Amino acid sequence: MLSLQKMRTLRALSLALCACFMLSGCLTAKMYVDPALPIASKTDLKRPAQPKPVQVLFEFRTKGNANAKATAEIRPRVVAVAAESALFSAVSSTAGESDGGVLKVVIDNIVLTDNAAAKGFGTGLTLGLAGSMVTDGYVCTASYSRGGKVTETTVKHALHTTIGNHSGPAGLTALEPQAAVHQVMDQITWNALKQLDSQGAFE
Amino acid sequence: MMAAVRNYLGSSLLLAACLLASGCVSMPAPAYQPGIANTEVLLQGKGSLTVEPFVASKGVNNKSLSVRGSSLKGGSDGSFSTYLQEALVAELKTAGRYGASSDTRISGTLVKNQLDDGAIKTGTAVVGARFVVTRGGSPVYDKALEAEHTWDSSFIGAIAIPAAMENYATAVQKLIGKLFGDPEFVKATQDAVAENK
Repeated sequence: MLSLQKMRTLRALSLALCACFMLSGCLTAKMYVDPALPIASKTDLKRPAQPKPVQVLFEFRTKGNANAKATAEIRPRVVAVAAESALFSAVSSTAGESDGGVLKVVIDNIVLTDNAAAKGFGTGLTLGLAGSMVTDGYVCTASYSRGGKVTETTVKHALHTTIGNHSGPAGLTALEPQAAVHQVMDQITWNALKQLDSQGAFE
Repeated sequence: MMAAVRNYLGSSLLLAACLLASGCVSMPAPAYQPGIANTEVLLQGKGSLTVEPFVASKGVNNKSLSVRGSSLKGGSDGSFSTYLQEALVAELKTAGRYGASSDTRISGTLVKNQLDDGAIKTGTAVVGARFVVTRGGSPVYDKALEAEHTWDSSFIGAIAIPAAMENYATAVQKLIGKLFGDPEFVKATQDAVAENK
């Protein structure tokens, strides 16, 4: 027979156990930026002779659905890359001068790993001992329009995430989630600008 | 006695699981983000518009929407009619078509506001409003529109709750898209431009 005191002790222990599982870091996520997309920067762009102002329209989607929170977080980074590129005389998120162009950037987050939810669930049930790795794909559709001329391009990128006890992709360095996501978004934008530039969009 | 012990353990674990799964929080709806498709439609038109305060029909959930024990609040004053009104302003400003003193004014009444987080698989949000556009005080457009949005939900509350809150904003975006894409709305606002010339 267990006394009331022992039962209380058991209950406290079970709650403490749950708390430990919540706080232990067993389910720590590590992110790895896929190396396939070339690293692009300002030096890869050809500054137009007469840069024009641009309105940047950005939308982040999750499996095709607009994601307001992610849009709000990522939009400033896309606008910042456009400003840093020196391809435009002025960059704004709102409509501006009539002779300006419109840069439209849509990034859609799609899950590439088959049955990712089931894998994550398994990792959770084993408290991270059976780790898993999922891969998020990002498909960016970018277009620049000005004076009736429209130029479009597509950029694809990927982010690998390990959860629990699972090794990351060989040769890649683990990053903090926010840093990894920002790096992916920045590189997608730089590559989109580079590809649009190579098509003569900003001339 | 072992059964009692098991009950204690079970209830403790269940309690912890519930806390993990539900969150039990009150959150404001995510800051509205203008949709690219909506902005593109607005950029094709001309003329400025202003937006008057919106109200809600009697019986409509205007103050709080429940999501598995958590609640979602609306716009700057906590109401969803204001959330819709502020969303319209954000859309018009992004497209450079907002003018506070414009003679063409949009008013509205929230007539439907539902959020179902989907107990297992699919979440659904339905938002409906009656929009009235006046010019010089005379109505030039009066129509009730409704938008439904569905998304993949989850059995796990920690995933389902934020997903529901995010996707509510998407339903509002779709409703506004229906308004801006309505040929009668376009005609009414284009007529306003012609008469203002």
